[in-house]
Amino acid sequence: MVLYDSATLGGSCSGSSSSSSSSKPPPLQQRQQTQQDIDGLLAGAGYRVRSSELRKVAQRLERLETAMVNSPADLSQLASDTIHYNPSDLASWVDSLLSEFTQPPTCPSEFIMDPETNQTVVSDAWTTAEPHMPQVHQNISYQQQSLNNQLTVDNQLTVVTAMEEDSGIRLVHMLMTCAECVQRGDFSLATSCLEDMQGLLTRVNTVCGIGKVAGHFIDALSRRIFQGIGGGSINGGSAYENEILYHHFYEACPYLKFAHFTANQAILEAFDGHDCVHVVDFNLMHGLQWPALIQALALRPGGPPLLRLTGIGPPSPDGRDSLREIGLRLAELARSVNVRFAFRGVAASRLEDVKPWMLQVNPKESVAVNSIMQLHRLLGSDLNRNSPIETVLSWIRSLNPKIMTVVEQEANHNQPGFLDRFTEALHYYSTMFDSLEACTVQPNKALAEIYIQREIANVVSCEGSARVERHEPLSKWRTRLSGAGFRPLHLGSNAYKQASMLLTLFSAEGYSVEENDGCLTLGWHSRPLIAASAWQAVSDGPADFPA
Amino acid sequence: MVQNHRREDHETGGENKEKRPKFFINDHVDILIEILERLDGRSLCIAASVCRLWCTIARNDSLWENLCFRHVSPPPSSVRSVVLALGGYKRLYTGCVRPVRSRLGRVRRASWARDEVQLSLSLFCVDYYERLGGSNSNGRLVEKSSPSSLMFLCKPVNV
Repeated sequence: MVLYDSATLGGSCSGSSSSSSSSKPPPLQQRQQTQQDIDGLLAGAGYRVRSSELRKVAQRLERLETAMVNSPADLSQLASDTIHYNPSDLASWVDSLLSEFTQPPTCPSEFIMDPETNQTVVSDAWTTAEPHMPQVHQNISYQQQSLNNQLTVDNQLTVVTAMEEDSGIRLVHMLMTCAECVQRGDFSLATSCLEDMQGLLTRVNTVCGIGKVAGHFIDALSRRIFQGIGGGSINGGSAYENEILYHHFYEACPYLKFAHFTANQAILEAFDGHDCVHVVDFNLMHGLQWPALIQALALRPGGPPLLRLTGIGPPSPDGRDSLREIGLRLAELARSVNVRFAFRGVAASRLEDVKPWMLQVNPKESVAVNSIMQLHRLLGSDLNRNSPIETVLSWIRSLNPKIMTVVEQEANHNQPGFLDRFTEALHYYSTMFDSLEACTVQPNKALAEIYIQREIANVVSCEGSARVERHEPLSKWRTRLSGAGFRPLHLGSNAYKQASMLLTLFSAEGYSVEENDGCLTLGWHSRPLIAASAWQAVSDGPADFPA
Repeated sequence: MVQNHRREDHETGGENKEKRPKFFINDHVDILIEILERLDGRSLCIAASVCRLWCTIARNDSLWENLCFRHVSPPPSSVRSVVLALGGYKRLYTGCVRPVRSRLGRVRRASWARDEVQLSLSLFCVDYYERLGGSNSNGRLVEKSSPSSLMFLCKPVNV
């Protein structure tokens, strides 16, 4: 790409060339990112602005507008064409216009943080050649970054210097470019993009904000480019590791708590009046969902029912029966609160390997099926056999459950086009990482981030059967489940009230619970991130015998 | 505490001229309990460090039960056995009910009082379950260093 051309400098603004050139950095200085200098998006609109100067130009445009509005003088001299020769060179054009105004700029609150000395510099000295952003790129010391980190942590605000904001914007642009290259199959360009991004990462605060998320996406992209789409180490995590990460994700942010409490409320209401109940959990993990249900059943008016729990989980490799251990723990809890309880574990590495006879459902008992972020794993289509989601949904239906609770991520990560998927994932996980900033408890936060990072890696770098994180939004699930013979159950005001209270307990004020046509969604600043819904099998009609 | 002093003064007012208090609160444990029942959580903890008798009384779980259900209509009797099995009312109050109430106090609606207690109970139960896991001989399931699910209630509120 072209460096800022000194030839046009002379031609653009004859009257004020001295001021504009003195405020520009020398065009021949050493910079790492020389070929990515000009901002691509503005270039598409016909303006040439260096990306590092985006913020400066924007501030000056604002000042220009204020000056124009407040100027008592006649503005006709601005219309003279001889002065403003090259409007596509936006930076110098703005400078030349500003030089027309003899008044000082009327923006009292404009400050620029001088990155080197970390003092605020009042910005009306815009014509002086102060050491500006491009030159101090390389001078940012670790101390400065850690100072930023400290400020961020203390104030719970993101104190972003001007340069970092630019770099953040550039990172996002470059991520999109790289993803597009990957989609096109142009791996050489993608690789060079990756290198540039990794260089840019050193200048951005990677402890929080866009830098951190970008880092994970860059990792995922490089995994895809260099290790292929088979998944490899990402999907090879042991079940024990996954459980630990899941537990820390549960502690660090309210998404899983919301899922558990909402599902429990729905199951509790569905089991009202039934004395023999059976819950099938598609992913037992540590069984954190069930203590609250056991306690609620113990305290329900009329006394607790006989509760059977069937937990499905991956087999343990080293001979431990982790499912049974969880079952024993839950049984001990149930015994303490006087609830008759029976547990059964079903070890299966994939949900589609489970057959209904393994669950041993008694025809006299009321069944609840609970799926927390499991159904989307079945959406990978295998042309050799029936689609797994249809198989599983049909045997769920054959159990005739009183209720099926489904909680899924509210995102569209199952699109066939890679770039669309990448873009959507970038927005979704940025929002999720934002919400995670509210949690300060370690090691919860760090391990929760690793949990999310694995999801990102799976969405971005895997394909085919290795890609299991095939999230779909609530609207698609509605269509799918209705088509499979289920009808929706409204979650009710108790669930909503409980979810709102739970949210209020979390110290960050950015979470929001919304009701969406009988389903509840939890999101961060009005972007829903997880959706909970409840379903019941539609009876086949009067002609069939009830099961 | 203030109540106590006032009572004592009232009682000894008539006998002030003798300069020897004939009323000693520790002789009248039933009155003492009545007074302690009306204290808030923090005062109750302070009262527990006055003397051994007060400490014994303040440890009595029924005082904490009163605290938990103070603003709520009395719960069914089955609640007591559950709470005692999960760790007792003092633990329920200090671990769950108090933080929940203070957090929700800002946005509380009157109808939430009972639901607050129910939510506290559920969180309390999850906490008990996690403690169960830590005390297992095979402590691999839950790391000891991992805070319980109630830790988020202990964090300072981000205003």
